[in-house]
Amino acid sequence: MPMKVGIVSVAQISGDDSKDNFYDQAYWATREALDKAGLKRDELGTVVSTASDVFHGGISCANAYYWESVASFLKNGTRQDGESLFSLYYAAMRIMSGHFDTALAVALCKGSENPENDTITHFFTDPFYQRGIGLNETMAAALQMRQYMERYGITEEQCAKVAVKNLANALRNPHAQRKGKFTVEEVLDSERLVDPLTELQCAPRSEGMVAVLLASEDKAKKMSDKPVWLKGYGCALDGFYLGDRDLLKGQLQRASSKAYKMAGINDPRKEIDLAEISEPYAFQELLWYEDLGFCGEGGGGKLIDSSATEMEGDIPVNPSGGVLANNPYVSRGLQRAVEATLQIRGQAGERQVDRKVNTALAHGTHGFAGQCHAVVILGS
Amino acid sequence: MGRPVAVIGVGQTKHGKRMDICYPDLVRQAVVAVFEETGLSPEDIDGVVSGTMPSMMEGVAMTHFYFADAMQAVGKPILKTETCGSTGVSIAHSAYYWISSGMADVVLAVGHEKMNEGDSQATMTTVMEPFYQRFFLSGAPGVFSMQCQGWSVRFDIPEEKVREAAAVLSVDHHDAAFDNPYAHVKVRLSVDDVKNAKVITYPIRLYDVCPNSDGACAVIFASEEMAKKLGKKTAWVKGVGYRGEEQFFGDSDKATWPSAVGAAKEAYKQAGITNPRKELDVAEIYDPFTYQEMLFYECFGFCNFGEAPDLVLEGVFSQKGDLPCDPSGGVLCTNPIGATGLIRVGEAALQVMGKAGDHQIPGAKTALAHAMGGIDQFNGIMILGSEL
Repeated sequence: MPMKVGIVSVAQISGDDSKDNFYDQAYWATREALDKAGLKRDELGTVVSTASDVFHGGISCANAYYWESVASFLKNGTRQDGESLFSLYYAAMRIMSGHFDTALAVALCKGSENPENDTITHFFTDPFYQRGIGLNETMAAALQMRQYMERYGITEEQCAKVAVKNLANALRNPHAQRKGKFTVEEVLDSERLVDPLTELQCAPRSEGMVAVLLASEDKAKKMSDKPVWLKGYGCALDGFYLGDRDLLKGQLQRASSKAYKMAGINDPRKEIDLAEISEPYAFQELLWYEDLGFCGEGGGGKLIDSSATEMEGDIPVNPSGGVLANNPYVSRGLQRAVEATLQIRGQAGERQVDRKVNTALAHGTHGFAGQCHAVVILGS
Repeated sequence: MGRPVAVIGVGQTKHGKRMDICYPDLVRQAVVAVFEETGLSPEDIDGVVSGTMPSMMEGVAMTHFYFADAMQAVGKPILKTETCGSTGVSIAHSAYYWISSGMADVVLAVGHEKMNEGDSQATMTTVMEPFYQRFFLSGAPGVFSMQCQGWSVRFDIPEEKVREAAAVLSVDHHDAAFDNPYAHVKVRLSVDDVKNAKVITYPIRLYDVCPNSDGACAVIFASEEMAKKLGKKTAWVKGVGYRGEEQFFGDSDKATWPSAVGAAKEAYKQAGITNPRKELDVAEIYDPFTYQEMLFYECFGFCNFGEAPDLVLEGVFSQKGDLPCDPSGGVLCTNPIGATGLIRVGEAALQVMGKAGDHQIPGAKTALAHAMGGIDQFNGIMILGSEL
């Protein structure tokens, strides 16, 4: 990193369908992040939001709708689509460019006003080859899961364990939508959506208004006792056609290597204290363990079996419950960064892990079978 | 202000009704063109910025996926920047901040639209929130005609004068488009043709309005070190400005348009420009409607409010005038929306590089590029200069 950028404050409003309207939720999350830092709206430098025209209640040009609700009125701001960690990175770059001292990254998605997620992901397809066969994100994930199990001998039970772990973790997270004590059998016996995926292994459709206030080093130290520093970032996009891609050797390894290099991390398993990763489908958490270097190729199943990624393990993954517990599609990446920040600060409430978290990883993905990945390393 | 950033190459497709080519290949044409122009290859690119209008326009969501291969972006970090009509300038801003921050040395910016595969006015109607505005603002002309009326009444400009000046601008831009090999609409018009064309939304007539175009634009930005290593002509980014207003059309003053004024001020300050009319040599203004271009002249400080029609009639902003505007023919002749703002940046860069061909403004050293979007909500500016 050419310059230190710190996270000063975070806010999130998320969970199940809410009766509150979009504008209020967006405003409250923004206001909370600013108030926690003692920053007035007119002192804020720039705003980089993420929202999607398709996950946005049938309103196009998402930013045109909420601009003034997220402290952007007559400010220099901009918008990202798809992945909210893009906003975090771009907001940090706006500070590093020297144009701004403070930047707000916000992510906005009100699931309850959208159609089912897969009605929307179906429109990620091209109109000629893929749309006609009805491809959507869950179907793509099912193909990926089957291939994963066959190539490495991963079992359905091992995949289900991710849902058991994350939904139980979510019991301690007031911002999660779906939570509960489930057994592996209950996960596997829940409704089979697209074989081999069952309902409890697929993320729900949630609400998520998430705000993260960033500041330059000097400002961050003044505005917060516990600034959390951005140490590394990596992102990589995959090719378009599902059949052209190796679904088990996607772009996450590339994205994470870049982030590790930037953060000076050589052994992620040892040097990362906690990870919040996006696993819209349970088995993906296992596959992402491998790509993130938490275990070797094909070792995801054994890693969950070892309990290392439980709250009490040596590398807790998704103590918040992850995306399986709460899935505001475009906001989920930034929500991971918020959770990682809270853990580093020791402010994660009941879901705080029982160990010192100095370095944490946040991950976001969107598209079919991990079509694009973004990885952020945060440190105390 | 961070590290200096340069535009080192511009690639465009021929814009128009491109039923000869599919959407990904349209994007590919612009990307291939910019690689050929710069002599760079995809391996040299540190990051890609992609953007377009809302997914409803062509019926494909998350177009960065659809065009990943066409943009040579597989395995690359990406930003997906979208701010409605101002998308193109916001894409350029993203590339600028990316390099200026020190996080990349070479960034490929790609904007695109294939409007003939969708219904642009239906899409734009969905930009308005569904309860209060959608039923009566519907589409772009409704919004812009109200703004034009508000502006001319506020500054007491006689309707005949506005009409005459708008017609002169339209004729001038349509003539200019003949000198731009990439422009879409190429027709020779007289002032009377424009004034007597059919009404779209009163007082706006057919030749006051931009077309629906298919097109793509790709621009490569580079750090000072990389630009110097390549040793080619470059255009330096001297200033960037952006401002946004609220969703509800009636809540802000569109006749003195604070977002347009604010964006220009921010960019001028960075570029050290105090008298834009004198210090700018050329401007590529986002002008989907003739009337609006005159309002922009005023918001950008080229003249006082209410004066633009007089100056247009004097020829100040014509191709041979004091401050030529839209020598490319502008948005009025070519509007693939997601690419349009980036085309303005590309054209401004070509002007200060001296590479604009038949529509080159001789000796242009400082140029302004602009785009506007939303329900008259967003304005973005980039100033380009021939010297660092």
